Amino acid sequence: MRKCFLFLLIAVLLVTCSFAANVELVYWTHTDTARTELENRYIEEFEAMYPNVTIKRVYNEASKMGDLILTAFSGNVGPDIFNLQTEQLFSYIVNGRVAPVDPKALGVKNVEEYVAQYSKGTFQPVTYDGEIYGVPLELTNWCIFINKRLFREGGLDPETDYPKTWEEMMEVSEKLTQRNGEIITRRAFDFRYPYYLVSMLPMVQQLGGDIISPDGKEAIYNEEAWLKVLTYFRDWGIHGKNLGNPTYTNARKTWNKDNGDMIMCLSGLYQEGRLKTDNPEFYDSGEWMVVPFPVFEDAVNDLGAASYGHFWMVNAQSSKTKQEWAWKFLDYMRGHSEEFLEYVYLVQPIKTLVESDLFKNMPYSNVFLEDLEKSNSVYINENGKMIEEKIGIAVQAVMLSGTDPADALEQLKKDVQEILDDSY
Amino acid sequence: MARHRKFGMERNKAKWGIIFILPSLIFFAVFSFYPIINAFYLSFHRKDLLSLRAPKFIGFDNYTYLFGSSNFWNSVLSTTFFTLGTFIPLLIFSLILAAFIMSRKRFQKFFQMAFYSPAVLSSVVAAVIWLLVFDPRGLGNQMLNTLFNSPGVDHKWLATDTMLRLSTIIVYFWKYIGYFTIIFIAGMASIPKQLHEAAYIDGANRWQGFWRVTFPLLKPTVLLVSVMSMIQCLKTFSTQYLFTVSGTPSKPINVITLNIYNTAIRDHRIGRASAMSVLLFLVMLFFTAMQIKGSKSDDVTYM
Amino acid sequence: MRNNKIKHSILGSVGDTLIWIFLIGTAALILMPLVFMFTSSIMPSKDIFKMPYPWITSEFKWQNYWNAIRGPDGDFMYLRNIFNSFFVSSVVSFTTVILSALTGYGLAKFPFKGRTVVFLLIMSTMMIPFEAIMIPMYMVVINMGLQDTYPGLILPFLTNAFGIFMMRQYLITFPDEILDAARIDGASEPKIFWRVILPNAGPAIATLAILTFRTQWDNLLWPLLIAQTDKMKTIPLYITRFTAETHTDEGAMMAIAAIASIPMFILFFTLSKYFVSGASLTSGSKG
Repeated sequence: MRKCFLFLLIAVLLVTCSFAANVELVYWTHTDTARTELENRYIEEFEAMYPNVTIKRVYNEASKMGDLILTAFSGNVGPDIFNLQTEQLFSYIVNGRVAPVDPKALGVKNVEEYVAQYSKGTFQPVTYDGEIYGVPLELTNWCIFINKRLFREGGLDPETDYPKTWEEMMEVSEKLTQRNGEIITRRAFDFRYPYYLVSMLPMVQQLGGDIISPDGKEAIYNEEAWLKVLTYFRDWGIHGKNLGNPTYTNARKTWNKDNGDMIMCLSGLYQEGRLKTDNPEFYDSGEWMVVPFPVFEDAVNDLGAASYGHFWMVNAQSSKTKQEWAWKFLDYMRGHSEEFLEYVYLVQPIKTLVESDLFKNMPYSNVFLEDLEKSNSVYINENGKMIEEKIGIAVQAVMLSGTDPADALEQLKKDVQEILDDSY
Repeated sequence: MARHRKFGMERNKAKWGIIFILPSLIFFAVFSFYPIINAFYLSFHRKDLLSLRAPKFIGFDNYTYLFGSSNFWNSVLSTTFFTLGTFIPLLIFSLILAAFIMSRKRFQKFFQMAFYSPAVLSSVVAAVIWLLVFDPRGLGNQMLNTLFNSPGVDHKWLATDTMLRLSTIIVYFWKYIGYFTIIFIAGMASIPKQLHEAAYIDGANRWQGFWRVTFPLLKPTVLLVSVMSMIQCLKTFSTQYLFTVSGTPSKPINVITLNIYNTAIRDHRIGRASAMSVLLFLVMLFFTAMQIKGSKSDDVTYM
Repeated sequence: MRNNKIKHSILGSVGDTLIWIFLIGTAALILMPLVFMFTSSIMPSKDIFKMPYPWITSEFKWQNYWNAIRGPDGDFMYLRNIFNSFFVSSVVSFTTVILSALTGYGLAKFPFKGRTVVFLLIMSTMMIPFEAIMIPMYMVVINMGLQDTYPGLILPFLTNAFGIFMMRQYLITFPDEILDAARIDGASEPKIFWRVILPNAGPAIATLAILTFRTQWDNLLWPLLIAQTDKMKTIPLYITRFTAETHTDEGAMMAIAAIASIPMFILFFTLSKYFVSGASLTSGSKG
């Protein structure tokens, strides 16, 4: 009997060894120098712990990553592990291209325990058909960053005069913007244009509008709200008060330089990390602050900017062994969430992390947290990117081409309705 | 006997001809014919790029969808604007520049190289430079404002529909003007000098000499350049792609190739994207057929 | 009569001056963005957006070039990526020349049944935009296991329809008597190709090689799909590594654009003869 057991044990060991002998995991992610350093260390440590596993980390520019992963998956050669924004991930989930979470490999008893470790609502964008997908890499919401020195130069006090409503934002911006003729040389604030679902849709939602009516049939619900926001953008652009537009350089990047070009911008907590590397003097000067996402005066919903996440996913077409090791590796990485916060300023919404002193002591983390609690998670739809593109076309039309907001809205409604009705 | 030998030589020639062509043919089969056939096949199917299900046959649905889609017609319009707006000025200016350079006795090579030098840069670099030039504070506004003495005016290079279209045309024009100028110079250089001299003896001035002698003989080159540049313009992608990725409005410059790319990659609708590719393919085939037909009837010989 | 002649020469010299002005003005406009690139590449980024643009900066920032060569992660991949671009472009130029000459020769000088059809088929591949067939092409290369390898970067570009078209047009006027004489001397067909055709197609070959090299050097989309690790990346990808979100310095960006272009400029100035004749040959094709 004992002999038999021993034999079995050896056999099992042998089988595991030969199976595990050469597991090579391929992990695709986007460029982020600080995170690359950190993750390369985890890969080394993980490989040292499990010599049978090697992990190949491939990175590319964030804006190209979506296209690359898509092309690879369409050719059935997707990486074993990858991360993307939640809006982009939905198609992968719906089409069964990524695997539901493996609680055992993640070191928990069951899915419920796993979900309970994270803040409420974390997994809402990656839940489909009763299954839960992926491990959160970051959860982000945007607030307003202010350069206090430049704000004061315009004769205003940042501590009291900072814009609380969108109406105030326009007033303050009119005072602070500097121009050479029509050409703006100092912008007070500007939007983050391609990300309309994250930053513009919440403005519509504040006024009670939405992309789809509650019954799911009508596109561009509550036209009045949409019209008001489109008019706001028209007034912001060159056919209105000329405060900024999409053709100027990215506001968030310029803001970091503290070179007098940009007073306020919209960004997430990770901006603090980028600022610390890009411009440490400005970071240490204390001449910047963060305030909540403004709300319209006559808002019916008190909402912050939409929160969006990056999730690590595991390829459903990878072999079972690879999948299991992939989850184990992800578990190892999520076990170091404090370091992701400390060195890369990325928040993995793990309860213990959000409640930790480390998080609380980060500058303005409370502003982000309070806004997060009152924000929706970003609109998820298989055709989300197409809808965002159409919203972008409407905004560009009113801001740049001088189209009447009502006409732009009509076109937008038609376009989005077509996308919704088109069951491709 | 002699006939038999000649027949044998013909067969031998045919054999070698096929052997010489075979490597390329195999290459094209794998990397061109197969993907093209694949595109034709998919254009009659519904297929989501990420779906693991087999493509579903839907007949001409993709095509009828396209013909009823404003987005598609907008792309047709953008491509037409771009093609006409680029290749006509390219043709005229490269012809003028070539004629002017040929009329100079010195610095011919310097001008050729100066006009050609932008073609050396890669599209990524060109886009990086031009996006800064077209910035509201950039050189584009500064130069126009100095020229028109209109300080502080923003010409909205990347903003309004017309200016944005013009900006993509400028980038393309800048990149290819030297290339076509050099083609014309080569065409002019191959015209025998005696023909000009004969014209001057007949009392023609330089202007008349150009119109009566040079231009008619350049016809094949003009035709070649126009069709080549037209096909290139119809296939334009990188300038528009890099511009929209950097945040310019997409609608006015959403040319067909960009639309194909976005329909496949952003929207995952590979069937529809394939149908668009097939249509573009047919249009280009039509223009090439016209060129071949045109060049045959217009052939000029001056031996 | 004499009056008329004087009028003519005055008009002529005025016209002459106008032509000079036009040529110099156009050259200045065309070179302006290049001058902008080189001048701004040594500026701190605050100077670049100054109005008016200071063509010569007050504080030279050579650091930009050092950063550009050092790379965003300090891994000095510039030389390796330059090498990759040179290697891939050279191999592609070489195979394109050989295969195009071979095929062009076959199409020009060897009548066989279906030759026109084959020629038209090859020509039709010129009509399809790369973006449209990118995905099936990618799947072919990946299924061969060539992701992140040199063969993967090279294979889809071994030859092209334009090259074949060009070589065919060039060789079609090659005197048949010379070929027949070689045949009578007992030379085999491959030998004739190597010893007679190739040596006599020098200018066409040089031109095609340079045009192909330039196109390949500019290739962005394909290497983006195939090259995964930094050591396999080519120069256009090296540039996009810097455009990632964290890097915001326009001056540094221009330095990268400049160092990415400098090797091509060196090649251009040393081989300018072929660049110029390069264009001339495509028009010399009168069938």
